[in-house]
Amino acid sequence: MRSQTAEIYEGYLSNRRGAQMWKFVALLAFLVFAVWSIDVLKIPIERVLGMFGPLWRMVSERLMPPDLAYVAQPKILRSIVETIGMSVLGSLVGILIVMPLAWFAAWNVSPARFILYPLARIIIVIARGVPTLMWAMLLVAIFGFGPLAGTLALMTATIGFAGKLLAEQVEAIDMNRVDAIRATGANEVLVFFYGVLPQVWASWVGIIIYNWDAQFRGSTILGFVGAGGLGLYLREQLSVLEYHTAMGVITVVIVLVILSETISHYLRHRLY
Amino acid sequence: MSTPAIVGNPLREPRIIFRRYAIIAIAAALVLALGKYTIVEETDWERMGSAAEIASTTLDFLPDLAFFPETFLPLLETLLIALWGTTLAVIMAIPVAYLAARNITPHPWITYPLGRGLIVLSRSTHEIIFALLFVSAVGLGPLPGIMALAVRSVGFMAKTTAEAIENASPGPIEAIRATGAWPVMVFLYGVVPQVFPIFVGNAIFQLDINIRRASILGLVGGGGIGYMFAEVMQNLRYDRAGTIVVGITTMVILGEFISNRIRNRII
Repeated sequence: MRSQTAEIYEGYLSNRRGAQMWKFVALLAFLVFAVWSIDVLKIPIERVLGMFGPLWRMVSERLMPPDLAYVAQPKILRSIVETIGMSVLGSLVGILIVMPLAWFAAWNVSPARFILYPLARIIIVIARGVPTLMWAMLLVAIFGFGPLAGTLALMTATIGFAGKLLAEQVEAIDMNRVDAIRATGANEVLVFFYGVLPQVWASWVGIIIYNWDAQFRGSTILGFVGAGGLGLYLREQLSVLEYHTAMGVITVVIVLVILSETISHYLRHRLY
Repeated sequence: MSTPAIVGNPLREPRIIFRRYAIIAIAAALVLALGKYTIVEETDWERMGSAAEIASTTLDFLPDLAFFPETFLPLLETLLIALWGTTLAVIMAIPVAYLAARNITPHPWITYPLGRGLIVLSRSTHEIIFALLFVSAVGLGPLPGIMALAVRSVGFMAKTTAEAIENASPGPIEAIRATGAWPVMVFLYGVVPQVFPIFVGNAIFQLDINIRRASILGLVGGGGIGYMFAEVMQNLRYDRAGTIVVGITTMVILGEFISNRIRNRII
């Protein structure tokens, strides 16, 4: 009786020692990694500790208060409309392209599993893998400065972002209803329209709205690389070190993003 | 036994059909007007050149494979920036989540709005804007990049964590409180064990997103592969830019794959 209790207790102790060992090893590994990575990144340690002073001065003296008179100019207001236009057009065209792609890229209903499925997957993965701002730079190099490159970049971002989400929804549908449509002799297109689309439509609309919100967030800084929109003025003001006006632009961006998020949140909740 | 009257589909009534088409027409007109305003008028069509020119510029981006080894170090740097940014964000998210969770916040009118405000501010500011501010405050290099990522990710981490805390079962929390523990102890022993798996899953998800974000920070001087990309784009070495794009895509896709694997195992 006693020996059994002692055994359990000893087992508990050795377990605890093991756990502590592991914790120690993990901590050691983390420290080694930290030192190594700081070395790779060439981060000057003395600057880490001394950075809070300049940071605070920057925020309190140079950035605040934001110059809102600058933002009320007609050219800024026009570029706000341009930003909204880019995000709406980019996500709309992107969605029109990505809806069939999501159909192809859903394994359960893909019309051609060995041609269209991998093709659609590859398109979505590449569109997803490259960040939006980088797409914008590439497209600016090809199509020149202006909102066309930005709109195309947002379109590509939509294909990557919404494509995966839409296809996930299609892969989760009830296959009985698809089989029922198929049993009537309908071809693949009709199966999609009558078997798949009615099942996913509600969640697709939610994703489409959410996607617009996400693309709008991205569109506010595309001007940074010359791809149109509000970001242009941010870059301009920062490059001439006009921090108060730059902060004014940033304030407008933040307000617009919060607004778009609120709209998208409201619309999505009204849907369900 | 009268046969039921055949009722027409109410959605097929002319009035409703008219309204539906009117909405579609107004939306289409709005989109066309926006398109004309933003794209047709604001684009420099002269400078873009012909379709052949566009095609030849596009072909310039074909990757230069000999350049590939040179991208390894900046890619590693990008990965480390993402890792450090996420680590700092995870640490900073804990106090913010503590403030922003309605059920455990110290004061519902002072600390709760403060926590929520920090979350909104962090979530609605683009990482490039944060990077710009940090670069002008502390100079070029990976340090402002890490800070920007950290500040940018705090919002998401704190928001999801606060939601998890709000959804935590009140039983264990009350039990700990009943022992006379002070608030920090209640948090550590009543709340943390409940939300920990969700927290870790979100941290891995955030790391995956941050790899993508870290790759563009260099465009504004935040270190990593983005700096190299900006440089080759400025020198019009489009073939090298193509190589970098391939490198980033590979890294991001690998990161997403691995993070999905780990998250599926944890949750």
